[in-house]
Parts: sequence; structure tokens; C-alpha cells
Amino acid sequence: MTPDEPAAGDGAAVPAPAAPIHLRPARVPDVPTIVPLLLRLKRLNEEFDPLLKVRDDAEAQAAQVLRQQIADPKAVVLAAEGIGPDIGKVVGFVRAVVRERPFYAPEYEGVILDIYLLPLYRRRGVGEFLLREVSDALKAKGAGIVTAEFPAQNEIAGRFYAKRGFRPITEIHARSL
Amino acid sequence: MSESTAAPAAPPRAGRRKPGTPAAAARRREDATDRLGRLAVELSRFYGGKIETVPKVPVRSLHDFSLWYSPGVAAVSRALHQDPDLSFELTGRWNTVAIVTDGSRVLGLGDIGPVAALPVMEGKALLFKFLGGVNAVPVPIRVASPDQLMSTVEAMAPAFGGINLEDIASPKCFGILEELSKRLEIPVWHDDQLGTAAATVAGLLNALALTHRTVRECRTVLLGAGAANLATARLLLALGHDPHRLSLVDREGILHAERDDVDELMLRNPWKYRLALKTNGGGRAGDLAAAVDGADVLVAASTPTPGAVRPEHVRAMAREPIVFALANPDPEIWPEAARAAGAAIVATGRSDFPNQVNNSLVFPAVFRGVLDARARSIPDEIVLAAARELAHGAERRGLTAHHLLPTMEEPEVFPEVAAAVGDAAVRLGIARHRLSHDEFLERATTLMGRSARLVRALARAGLTSPMPRASATRRRGA
Repeated sequence: MTPDEPAAGDGAAVPAPAAPIHLRPARVPDVPTIVPLLLRLKRLNEEFDPLLKVRDDAEAQAAQVLRQQIADPKAVVLAAEGIGPDIGKVVGFVRAVVRERPFYAPEYEGVILDIYLLPLYRRRGVGEFLLREVSDALKAKGAGIVTAEFPAQNEIAGRFYAKRGFRPITEIHARSL
Repeated sequence: MSESTAAPAAPPRAGRRKPGTPAAAARRREDATDRLGRLAVELSRFYGGKIETVPKVPVRSLHDFSLWYSPGVAAVSRALHQDPDLSFELTGRWNTVAIVTDGSRVLGLGDIGPVAALPVMEGKALLFKFLGGVNAVPVPIRVASPDQLMSTVEAMAPAFGGINLEDIASPKCFGILEELSKRLEIPVWHDDQLGTAAATVAGLLNALALTHRTVRECRTVLLGAGAANLATARLLLALGHDPHRLSLVDREGILHAERDDVDELMLRNPWKYRLALKTNGGGRAGDLAAAVDGADVLVAASTPTPGAVRPEHVRAMAREPIVFALANPDPEIWPEAARAAGAAIVATGRSDFPNQVNNSLVFPAVFRGVLDARARSIPDEIVLAAARELAHGAERRGLTAHHLLPTMEEPEVFPEVAAAVGDAAVRLGIARHRLSHDEFLERATTLMGRSARLVRALARAGLTSPMPRASATRRRGA
């Protein structure tokens, strides 16, 4: 059983997405349209592990976090606008932060926290494009490496990043208290 | 719909049903089902099962066993060791299939496990033999996972010329069928998907022809997104149905690319996910009512929920709507109600109404065809060839709104379907036996006709007991 990959094009050297989207930094007015996408992603994560259960107030939290990070110079939030009938509609987003690594070199790490694309924009190289753009933005903010966080059981995400040269460097193991 | 069996056990036919209120009719149907159930238990006890193995060679004396068994048989084994493909000529493998189930979705009974599935698989084996001349072995297996099921089937494949998967829950049935078809060099079929879908498509082709429409231009709604309808959707698309004019509806409403559960589907049911992305152009959202508005065709193959399709749904459809209500035993809408609401053509899964969409019209002939062609697999082109020939079969006796599909009493159609399947296998280059159409037809006619003769001969010789009278078995049971 091989479910579709969320955002993966096939070639590693695709210069631009096959399904053109318009990618730009997210603005505060985008928050209400990004929140449902962020919640979709978190609810998907919930499928993988009960310890990733989405909180009842997640919607309000999402709006607050997004507003903060849009203003935060250490964060990158990109909005992907659709084309054609979807013109002007946010069909995907990326959220990442720059984190300090006090004991390791390079000193700064760009952490991709969320990449989400509506299903119709998947498998057309858009995810690849989003990954490259966010990596560039993180690098511009001083990150020497880029990392991605996703549920350990999410093999689709694992394959997506592995194909693009990512490997696991830290594992987070959890149990309830 | 494996619950739909051959006609002989059918309750009284439509024409002879007494008039009455719908509630009274429903009660009568329930009573009839209960009566049949009691009788089936008694007869199962009386006969101790439904099938047995029978020698196919003469045994003149015990000396003959030096040919049929040791030492003579060693030479046969040596030959097969040299060339395993000879197993299709020197053993009964060419005509033997396994009916494999894990018992995870048996009829409408749900996950009742492999042992409880056995009587159903025995019945299926009887149908295989009686209708298709195929030796089918019931193999309900206790397995913990799809992987274990697949490796078990793989391990037993050397004994069989084909595999019929039966009553395996959706969505795991899709992955199992896909993967086993890849791993095995013999045909693999999942009747709950392909048998029902092929019969549905055959009926639809004729229903569309009768109402002067084509697959390419019609708008279709499929209610229920389980094994049968997902396969039906795939076949319709393969026939050129416009994906934008096809909508699937399940418990959550119209399936579409931005539905809340679509990411979950990507993980749990990629087959349904792919259809969510492809179908429902124009972005309809909502429930069945929103989907059927202006539709030409409604195919309901859902978990039986009486009243799932209501007269107003039918009224909202396009001119001369086509309604297939296939849930068993109770269709999503009763034919009289659908017709009263304007349906031009109605089909169900039941033998006591006209137009029974019945997988027994399909699987015996498909297996006859692929076994005779020694096909390596059963691609969708073969399923479609069977559906088309089945549609032609109904046409030959005259196509009407009440005769969309051949009935089980038109056995002359089945060898034709088998031959069409054989031809398709040759055309696709997956036949090891490249027979001509006439050869396929003759072979199928002989082998399919032989079973009925065999059953009659066994009865005449007193080797199968006559059916005890219903009243007698009831008394004994009381």
C-alpha cells in the first residue's frame, strides 16, 4: 500500500512547480485562511499518535501563533496562493522558525514545523518548490542546517524528506505521565 | 454483493407478489428471509456441507493406484519438477481455484471470522462448480494482518490455477488484490469489488442505451464508497466517463478534494483518496440530495440503510433517471417507490425483482475464461470485456426496462462471457493458451454444461440424497 505523497514531485531538480502557485510571505489578513489548513495538518498528525491529540482550543491557538510568527523576524511563514479558479485563495502554507543550537555547529537551525498543501495541489512539484523556498528563506536568516519535524509514524513525510537529502538526526520519544 | 445468489432459492417472483401496504410487504419479505434461513440451517445439517471431492479417473481395481499414485505418479512429479508449468496439464490445477477469506466482512454480517465464513465459501464453491465448471476450494484463513493473508495466499498458490478473494473488508481488500495480482502468476479476483462492479457496469451500459445516453456524457452518482462502488467508479472512468461528472457520496456526504477527512483518506484509503481528487467537478458539496440534482444515474451500493435513497432524490434527477439500489437484502429504495418517483429503469441486488445485478452472472464465466486461457492476471480490460458481453447477452433476448441483464435462467450467455474473457486475455498478451474464439466458446460450453449433468447424474444414481421436504425438515428441527 503506497498512499500518495503529500507534496512530492518526482524529479529533484524541478526548477518551478508544475502547478504554478504564487508563493509569498504570509500577512496578518491571511491568518483566518491559513488556520483551517494548519488545523487539517494537526488533525492528520493526530491520526498517527494519541499523544498528538489536537486541543479543543487549537483554532484560537493557531491564530495566535500565526499572528506572532508572521511578525517574528526569527520565523518564516509563507502562503501559497492558487491559480485559475483558485486565484487569490490560499491553498497551502509553510511555517518554520530559526532555532539556536548552543552546543552544535552550525549554530543556527531552520526548523520546518508545517508544510501543508490542499490535495489538488499535491504531486505536482509544489511541495518541492515550497521546501526549496523555505530553505532559502531560513538560510537568509542565518540557518546553517534545515530540519523538519513531523510525526514519527508519518512515513509519507519521511519519504518526502529522505528523497530530498534529509536524514534523522534527533529522535523525540514520548510517553504519558 | 456476494449475498446475492443464484435464482433457484428465490422467494416468489415480482409478478406474483400480493398487493398490500409497504409495511406488509416488508414483513412478508422478512418472514421469507427467516424461513429460508431456518431451512438453510436444517439442510446444512442434513447434508453435512455442500461440496465434496469426486474422483475424475476410473478406478478399475486397487492396481490402478500404481498409476494414480505411487510408483507411477513419481514420473509425473519429476516432469513437473523440470517444468512447473506442466502442473496445468498433468494435474487439476488448470481448473482449480481457492476461495480465500479472512471472514472480515461476510455478507451483511460483518467481521464474523473465518469459521463462520465457511458456509458462505462452500456456497460460493457450489456456484463456481455449478455455473462455471470450476473446482473451487473454500479456504477461510485465520490471519492477523493483510501481510499475513498475502503471504499465506502466496504460499498456497502452487496448488491453484486462480485465487478468488471473498468477503474481505474494505479498504484492505484493495491493497491485497493489487499486491497479490503483482506477486502471483495466476489470476486473482476479488468478487466483492470486481464481480459486483462488472455486473453493475453491464446493467448501466444497457440502461444508458435504452434511454439514449452514453457513458461519456452522463452524470453519475455513486452512493456508498466501499469495495463495489470504488471498483465501479474505476471501471466507469476506464470506459470514458468524465470524472468531473461522477460524484461519490458516503456517510460524510459528497466525496471531494477539500473534504475534512481527505488527509485521513490519503493514509487509510488511498483508492478513495484518488477518486476524491479526480471526481466531482464543479465542487459540489453536501449530501446525497446535492449530488443527485440533475444526475442521470444513481448507483447505490451502501451499507444497508433502508430509506437511504428517498423518492425526492429520484425526483431531483435528470429526465428518465436510472436507479440501481443494490444493498442486500433491503435495497436503499424499493423499486416500486423508485418508479413511482419517476425512475425509468430500476435495478436491485435481489432475484425477486427484475434486473438483478448479481455477481453470479460474472465470476463463474470470468474464471472459466481466464482458466481456459491460463491468463496470468485479470486486468480491468478483462473485467470490462465480461461486462460488455454480459450486456450483449441481455440484448440478444431483447432489451427492455425490465430486462437489462441476463437472468440466471439464461445460461447460454455464460459461455459467451467466458469466451469474451478468453479473447481479451489473448488480445492483451497475458494468455498462455491462445485459443480461438470458437475454441474458448466450445470449451466453456462443455465444461459449464458438464456440472449440471453431473449434479443430475449424482441425484439419479442416488449418490446425493433428494432434498427432504421443507415440512419434514422443519418438524425434525422443532
